[in-house]
Amino acid sequence: MADLISAVSPPSRPEELYFERFGVTQEALRGVMSAALSRGADDCDLFFEHCVISSVSMADGKVNRASTSIDLGLGVRARVGDQVGYAYTEDLSLAAMLAAARTAAEIAMTTPGRAPVNLQVLGLPSYYPVKERWSGVGMERRVPMLRAWEAAAFARDARVEKVSCQLVDAERVIAVVRPDGRVAQDFQPMTRAVVSVTAQQNGRRESNLYNLAGRAGLELLDADRVNRMVNEAVDRTMFLFDAGKPPAGEMPVVLAAGASGILLHEAIGHGMEADFNRKGVSIYASRMNERIAPSFVTVVDNGTLDGSRGAINIDDEANPSERTVLVQDGVLKSYLHDEISAKHYGVAPTGSGRRESFRHPPMPRMRATYMEPGPHKPEEIIASVKNGIYCTSFSNGQVHIGAGDFAFYMKTGYLIEDGKLTRPLKDVNIIGNGPTALERVEMVGDDLMLDEGGWTCGKDGQGVPVSQGQPTVKVGALVVGGVSQ
Amino acid sequence: MSAVPSSIDPQKVARDAVALGLRLGADEVRASVGRADDVQLQRRGGRLERAQEARTFGLSVSLFVDGRYSSHSSSDMRPEAIAALMERGVESTRLLEPDPDRALPERALMGGLDEASLDLDDPAARQRDPARRREELEALEARAIAAAPADLISTTAHLWEGRSESWMCLSNGFEAQSARTTFGWGVEATLREAETGKLPEGYAFEQAVHLSDRPNIDALMAELDEALALTRRTSACASGRYLMVLDARVVGRLLGALLGPMSGAALHERRSVFLGKLGEQVASPRFSLFDDPTIPRGLGSRSTDGDGLLPARRALIDEGVLKTPLLDVYYARKLGMAPTTGGVSNLVVPIGDRSWRAATAEIPEAIRVTSFLGGNTNPASGDFSFGIRGQLLRHGEAVQNLSEMNITGNILDLYANFVEAADDVRLNSSTRSPSLLFDGVSFSGA
Repeated sequence: MADLISAVSPPSRPEELYFERFGVTQEALRGVMSAALSRGADDCDLFFEHCVISSVSMADGKVNRASTSIDLGLGVRARVGDQVGYAYTEDLSLAAMLAAARTAAEIAMTTPGRAPVNLQVLGLPSYYPVKERWSGVGMERRVPMLRAWEAAAFARDARVEKVSCQLVDAERVIAVVRPDGRVAQDFQPMTRAVVSVTAQQNGRRESNLYNLAGRAGLELLDADRVNRMVNEAVDRTMFLFDAGKPPAGEMPVVLAAGASGILLHEAIGHGMEADFNRKGVSIYASRMNERIAPSFVTVVDNGTLDGSRGAINIDDEANPSERTVLVQDGVLKSYLHDEISAKHYGVAPTGSGRRESFRHPPMPRMRATYMEPGPHKPEEIIASVKNGIYCTSFSNGQVHIGAGDFAFYMKTGYLIEDGKLTRPLKDVNIIGNGPTALERVEMVGDDLMLDEGGWTCGKDGQGVPVSQGQPTVKVGALVVGGVSQ
Repeated sequence: MSAVPSSIDPQKVARDAVALGLRLGADEVRASVGRADDVQLQRRGGRLERAQEARTFGLSVSLFVDGRYSSHSSSDMRPEAIAALMERGVESTRLLEPDPDRALPERALMGGLDEASLDLDDPAARQRDPARRREELEALEARAIAAAPADLISTTAHLWEGRSESWMCLSNGFEAQSARTTFGWGVEATLREAETGKLPEGYAFEQAVHLSDRPNIDALMAELDEALALTRRTSACASGRYLMVLDARVVGRLLGALLGPMSGAALHERRSVFLGKLGEQVASPRFSLFDDPTIPRGLGSRSTDGDGLLPARRALIDEGVLKTPLLDVYYARKLGMAPTTGGVSNLVVPIGDRSWRAATAEIPEAIRVTSFLGGNTNPASGDFSFGIRGQLLRHGEAVQNLSEMNITGNILDLYANFVEAADDVRLNSSTRSPSLLFDGVSFSGA
């Protein structure tokens, strides 16, 4: 019994209803949906979630902190057109689930709606097969792993003063139940590892980190990745000692391949989420099938990349995940849709209806957003810049959807002078306008790379795991937060 | 208020968890149970767009076993689920390495302020008529639409209310219970700017602990008008060093940049620009910053902190001198210092005696920062860089709305160049600071 409650174990048979082990019967599911539809809602969904997150941390030379978080509950959504009633409960007793459903149902005020039909568990693709689950990896195996990361970090550079390491794994089962009989159950693993370093040089201290994340089990942490994590954490810290600030103002910005996908995420991705467009408040709201970027720019949001942090086998409304082309050869081709926006636009959902947990209704969200490779070589892109900056790592970003203004924070980079990388740079905010920045994309490299870090996208109070990537890209002009003399 | 009936007795759950932890072999246990009722309503286009309601529970447990430590939380409140969580928790803790600094606080340091005098639990929350909430939201939306400028394309009105209670129980006999209410509402609006094709957005959101303290519709409308005016015809001005007026509504971003390096974790891990600077001048003598959990009806007020320590008003920075780091019990032991508190409550900057407009009347050019976009701070070096919006001021009068600009510098330099605080403090915030003026701030723009 203890294992059933405090550990996640995927259904042993495809047709098994996972939440039956918590006493939720098929009859109860139909009853709860009937209650959600009892006042005339067009549709409803039940979103069950069981999630166990474990974390173990090392600091001061000791693996001395661990935590566990268990989340179990049901969210009920009733819909009338684009109106949403939502309630949730952590208590999976029939009485509590019915109470939640009746609360959600109050959004509608007409006559009883349709009756749910018999339930059928959907077969799903498998974009994140797990080779070795963390539930089988005890503390006695985790502790030496963290110790090895710490030792390697200290060994890499004598200036390292403090190292902290953290390993977090999550095992989550969701079940989405719909009145048309669809039941989508998905086992969603996640692994994240972080190494943070503080170093001292001549009395000055700098700190930086590197992290790995993906939908996988223990196998994510193979030797190559772990070496890269430790080495990058140390090297990126040492880089900061010699780094300074660029001059302030507007200048060409070259984004290195990989994490620079944050540009796409902020400048374009959020503006493509169709709830903003449905309401007419996105700067891209009236630009479908228009050219919004040069012809060598193709932008994709893809939920099917094997093992990526943004991958989903099914979305949180029970619609299939997919590869959605947002911008094809510079032309805006699709938004990211949940069911409400898809109905509004008369198109199929893109499998983008996502939510943070059962405590939140779904909305259109990104998965793994990236730009397809372009025609240019990375070195010719750098060589083309007379005076500008080259950004190599990033920490965060933000966008104002309507105005289109976006910002991202460059943690490390270089000044470009006469086509060559010169002075190291650090800690600079870069700001621009999304549509303008897209028009100003002058070169796209052939070196697409998906970043391997643990990005989380925040929107309307909900955080969801995402991936992002980009080839080397040159934007003709952005405002760089340098120092004015 | 609750959608879900429940027979759970939170205090008993917390006490039982402590007792079970001790039976399973823990030396010390801290258990907290939280219960929250939450309502969120949203109207757009003249109708209710979203209605959400829930009652939530959560249990958090800290286990101290053989000099080792772990923490656990669960939303599954069934007794058998809690028992399983505790069993696994105690077992896994034994496999960690010892940490002698992990222990409950000394009993003498623990305590709670009088809940009645803090006045954080408005009885109105329990008497609230759901229909009344919907009427109020409808009235707010109607006013926003009626007052809308011609180029408005979308208005969304929001209302949120909640009451949360928590029970803390420690194996050393300390117990604390608290409750607080929140009443908030606001409106966001998007315009279509014909000249640029941009769709700038503005918003006004306000909340209070007591319903009677919630700002009224007139106040929200005035705030929204100003917010929308600031979004029109924005552009960047020339890069350079300017006197900066940091608006009271957004001052928390740059006050927050001081708090990260003040934390016990940052000091212990030696990634703090304040390392070795306790008792030293780290800002202009004109600048003081207080943490005050004792303000009646304050949005950040609390009767006890997360460790169970008795809250007190403290000067974090007093006339420019770094006085109090933010030390929870664990990091205080690590650093060999007395604990203060692990997290701030209400941040207070003393109010000045004139308006920012008066303070800038003699200044040929200054920039008033009214919102931030992106940016970050490096707590180890103090370096910061943030995107901003705002206004270019000439002799205190706004002459240009600004966007696509950044401010960049170091927090030690920034606060060394603090000039004065204005007289416009906002009370409906846990950041009780007026607008702040800083000289010689580096702005990047056109």
